[in-house]
Amino acid sequence: MTSPDVPVSAHGVSAHDVAVPETYTIPVGPLHVALEEPMYFKIDVRGETVTSVDINAGHVHRGIEYLATHRSMIQTVVLTERICSLCSASHPEAFAMAAEAIAELEVPSRAKYLRVIAGEVKRLASNLFNVAILAHLTGFETLFMHVMQVREIAQDIKEAVFGNRMDLGAICIGGVRYDLDAEIMMELTKRLDEIAPLVDEIIETYRTNGTILRRTRGVGVLTRDQAIACGVVGPVARASGVVYDVRHAAPYAAYPDLEVAARGLSDGDVWSRAMIRLYEARDAIDIVRQALAKLPAGEIHGDERPDVPPGETIAKVEAPRGELIYYLKTNDGPNPERVKWRVPTFMNWDALRFMLAEAKVADIAIVVNSIDPCISCTER
Amino acid sequence: MNVLGLFVRNLMRGPVTDPYPFGPTKTAKRFRGRIEFDAASCEGCKLCERVCPSGAIKFSKDPGGLAFDCWHATCVFCGTCAFYCPTGSIRQTDDWSLAHVASEKFALVEHGLIPNQTCAECGATALDTAPMEGGVKPPLTPEEIATLRPLCPKCRAKFMKARKAKK
Repeated sequence: MTSPDVPVSAHGVSAHDVAVPETYTIPVGPLHVALEEPMYFKIDVRGETVTSVDINAGHVHRGIEYLATHRSMIQTVVLTERICSLCSASHPEAFAMAAEAIAELEVPSRAKYLRVIAGEVKRLASNLFNVAILAHLTGFETLFMHVMQVREIAQDIKEAVFGNRMDLGAICIGGVRYDLDAEIMMELTKRLDEIAPLVDEIIETYRTNGTILRRTRGVGVLTRDQAIACGVVGPVARASGVVYDVRHAAPYAAYPDLEVAARGLSDGDVWSRAMIRLYEARDAIDIVRQALAKLPAGEIHGDERPDVPPGETIAKVEAPRGELIYYLKTNDGPNPERVKWRVPTFMNWDALRFMLAEAKVADIAIVVNSIDPCISCTER
Repeated sequence: MNVLGLFVRNLMRGPVTDPYPFGPTKTAKRFRGRIEFDAASCEGCKLCERVCPSGAIKFSKDPGGLAFDCWHATCVFCGTCAFYCPTGSIRQTDDWSLAHVASEKFALVEHGLIPNQTCAECGATALDTAPMEGGVKPPLTPEEIATLRPLCPKCRAKFMKARKAKK
């Protein structure tokens, strides 16, 4: 009845009788897809190839938008800083910009430069962190350790200048909370001089190293048309040839006075996204140096506790991951009536459907990491 | 970057990590660590309690005066209290070594007491707070501050009114 080489189960059912499905569904996540953040994918595979991706969100929803409406404006600045530790300069800055727009406050020019310095130091550390994780996911642990060690210099800068490794506490409504004196500026300059050649060396490694290139070139491609269709932002957009940067499109803080290089690549693969991040990490050092050279004297903030009248507005900044938009509505009370933010990852993770189409199972983690997902921002 | 070169470089330089807690480690001068409260210079305005985003700071009435408590286990070290404090009575030390066993978590509190005093003018019982200096024009002289300090809020207001009339 059955041929001898077809396996037969203990119940006498032949392998020929069982319908083998075309595709197989595997869960990826919610823990340790790339970063230690919960993101859950239901991935259909045919053999080793991905056929469809379903993204399931909401594992770290903490109700921060609701919490913000139960705290005063001053308290909300600190709350927004703690939405995500990697963009912890961008969130309070966008929130403060929105509050300043409603209250029609003028930020002192020294404070504008200090805000740029805080944002760019964070960008440097954040981008290095992401490319380090890329090395880790390709199995190149030596490079991972090295990039993390270089990033540690950026962490030391944050600790020396702002007093904390992640949450800078730099922003207040109407200005900044920290100032630079001659001693700290010297320390900052010294550390930047130390990190700049190391970042150049890392850029060269990612550009030429065979291990990195073999795992990242042509993987997770997002074409320019797909990038526009998904509305992706930040390094993900710029790696696909959509050169959109809030620092150019709608310069804020001191960016109108500073030269910010426009970075763009056209391949749209994992490697291009990593390179954009590395170039922008290097640019961040130059921007901080420019800001230090041009830093005007004067006040660092206006009235300490400005009154924010009823009103509504939006503000946007370029976070390390892309365009971050804040919507703020205030009323007569001390608390915001509504705060909402659209974070870059919300736009970028939709593009994973295109990036992961026809990808190999082994590349899923690399592709997911390449959008630099920040789940805690997105699900707040 | 030559990975072998990196190996040699790292071998020569030795470990980049600090041997903490078995050896010393560096702390940045500006590190924003444990809160320290100075009751003697506090005006008792309670602004720190209002701006604290985590609700770590609590003022409470005490038989001896006004008690200040900052719960380190609740504090997020944002420094908002120190930034908004008009007198600099709250500051952040560079002490970050706050590891503790669970049984000690309710003991990790920065406590301060603004004591009661008897008003030198009218004899009423009032808090021995520092006189409010913010927005006073012309600024209070050290002698005036010394005169104001032992007074109750009512007598302080009377003094300030007389001072304004004189100027």
